Amino acid sequence: MVNLNAVLLISFALFSIGIVGVLIRRNALVILMCVELMLNAANLNFIAFARHSGSVSGQAFALLVMGFAAAEVSVGLALVVALYRKRDTVQVDDINLLKG
Amino acid sequence: MEHFIETIGRNMFAIFGVMALGGAAVVVASRSAVHSVLAFLFAMLCIAGCFLSLEAEFLGMAQILVYAGGIVVLFLFVVMLVEVTKAKEKEVFQLQSRYAIGAVLLGVAAFSAVFRKVIFGAASPQALVLRPDLAQGLKVAEQNAQAVSRGLFADYLLPFEILSVVLLVALVGAVVLAKTERV
Repeated sequence: MVNLNAVLLISFALFSIGIVGVLIRRNALVILMCVELMLNAANLNFIAFARHSGSVSGQAFALLVMGFAAAEVSVGLALVVALYRKRDTVQVDDINLLKG
Repeated sequence: MEHFIETIGRNMFAIFGVMALGGAAVVVASRSAVHSVLAFLFAMLCIAGCFLSLEAEFLGMAQILVYAGGIVVLFLFVVMLVEVTKAKEKEVFQLQSRYAIGAVLLGVAAFSAVFRKVIFGAASPQALVLRPDLAQGLKVAEQNAQAVSRGLFADYLLPFEILSVVLLVALVGAVVLAKTERV
């Protein structure tokens, strides 16, 4: 017994926390985790609306999103490791080669 | 006591959701990356609980397997590789945090203003339950996994196959990106 509104509110709050994390943290790892949080908020919405509309497509797409999130995180973490090898840091503020 | 348990059972989603929000807040706020990863694990498990209470059993289990089993371990390994750290004790948050939080709050307020009828308005009369004709003829344990697989392999086969190619590309790309140069 779950209301659609409750799901929407929770996923809205989760997405906002994710955005705040991406904007204010300096550690690239934490930023990646916050991106994952946002993807999970989207997944929550997919599942809630799948339940709401009585079809199962939303759940299938949530599964696809999960797969894409896994791909994204593996590439992101490889980038972080490569960055650490090259520049000895994972603080995004120190990576300012493109700064004019 | 029975009444208490019944109340908890009815509000399972809200409980898991609020715990997930707490975990997410700790991810953002904690100073140490390892604590962030552990809070992330907690948040993911709570979201899996949310999925379960939304009767998406297959996705809940997949969430536990993929996130708690795979992604969190990956994060922990990278924290271990990277965070050993000669990094000088730096500020955790960006200088412009205040403005960023202000901007997000503004966005939240604007969104709430536009969608207040949907989100904060009267709850929709029927709760989220499985469509009866979908549930008919399927055993309880099978119905969710079967329904998801029918959606995945019948209606959305092309995205599924594309996903497999994307995963392969990500695999090879991650190996190429992370391997040492002098091999």
